[in-house]
Amino acid sequence: MSFIKRALKPVEVIIVAAKVGRVTIKYPFEEPLISPDFRGKIEIDPTKCIGCGACVNACPPNALEMIESEDKKTLRYFVGRCIFCWRCIDVCPVGAIKGTREFELATNDVLDLFDFIIHSKTRCNTCGKMTSETTRMQKFILERAPIAEVYSSKCPECRRNSLIRAVAMRKVGLYE
Amino acid sequence: MSKALERIKRSIWVFHLNTGSCNACDIEILDALTPYHDAERFGVKLVATPRHADVLLLTGPITLESLPKVINAIEATPRPRIIIALGSCGSGGGIWHDTYSTIGGVNGLLKILKERGVEVDAVYYVPGCPIRPEALLYAVALIKGVVSKKREAKMYKAE
Repeated sequence: MSFIKRALKPVEVIIVAAKVGRVTIKYPFEEPLISPDFRGKIEIDPTKCIGCGACVNACPPNALEMIESEDKKTLRYFVGRCIFCWRCIDVCPVGAIKGTREFELATNDVLDLFDFIIHSKTRCNTCGKMTSETTRMQKFILERAPIAEVYSSKCPECRRNSLIRAVAMRKVGLYE
Repeated sequence: MSKALERIKRSIWVFHLNTGSCNACDIEILDALTPYHDAERFGVKLVATPRHADVLLLTGPITLESLPKVINAIEATPRPRIIIALGSCGSGGGIWHDTYSTIGGVNGLLKILKERGVEVDAVYYVPGCPIRPEALLYAVALIKGVVSKKREAKMYKAE
């Protein structure tokens, strides 16, 4: 009796398999199954980004990096190192970064994995040197705090000098 | 060699090379081989030794401890050899890209291999932390030429 049972076991398996049907997905030829809260690649809106570098400070693996040169400030996003934590989205002051559910990022060339946004720096209106602020950052500061108009277009050194002069004038009067 | 790369597209045998990863990507590789995702549709098969393999599935940021073994495994793989760098760690170093004990993913490895004169015919990068099994299937389909590449570098200029 037990022999017959054992012999019929494959038949049982076939019946179960016929009930379940085909479970394999046809993935590259159909839409993938991803949940709505899946976190994928981020997308930076180049028309909104002001180049402040808040996301660079928040990024745990330094996938977002700020490369500074003489008169340019470049935000570089390297997808290959991104861990998709979306912390940059939380800290962005202008909401320029938004998350997507994109995960099909495979390439055979490492240069495909980079995104660049190039910002231009402003010039100090007193001494003429390049400041570390971008033009959009300056505009953003003026929108938020119009009182900063005197200082926002100066480089840190000129800003300090003008502050010292203002304090000195208040204490001991004009001294040249 | 390009003819050999064409021939490799028929059915790729992969060797799973863990170089100090956290095992998340390794579990996703196993997930890709289950009947649900079924990587064997594309002829993918896990083999036990790099001498039988066409493709090395490299996970982890390549620790200094594992580096000599990784180089040995790559030297043992017959030409044409392809590396699939899986996950953030494999393709760019991940959160360990600048620590003292890792060499920062496959790009650091390729430099060391170039110094030693070991050639790698193609490197495929699969970002994700961890990768989805679908992302691995997409990379395999990309090697076989079934799907086209979606990702492109973008350069924007803000005024």
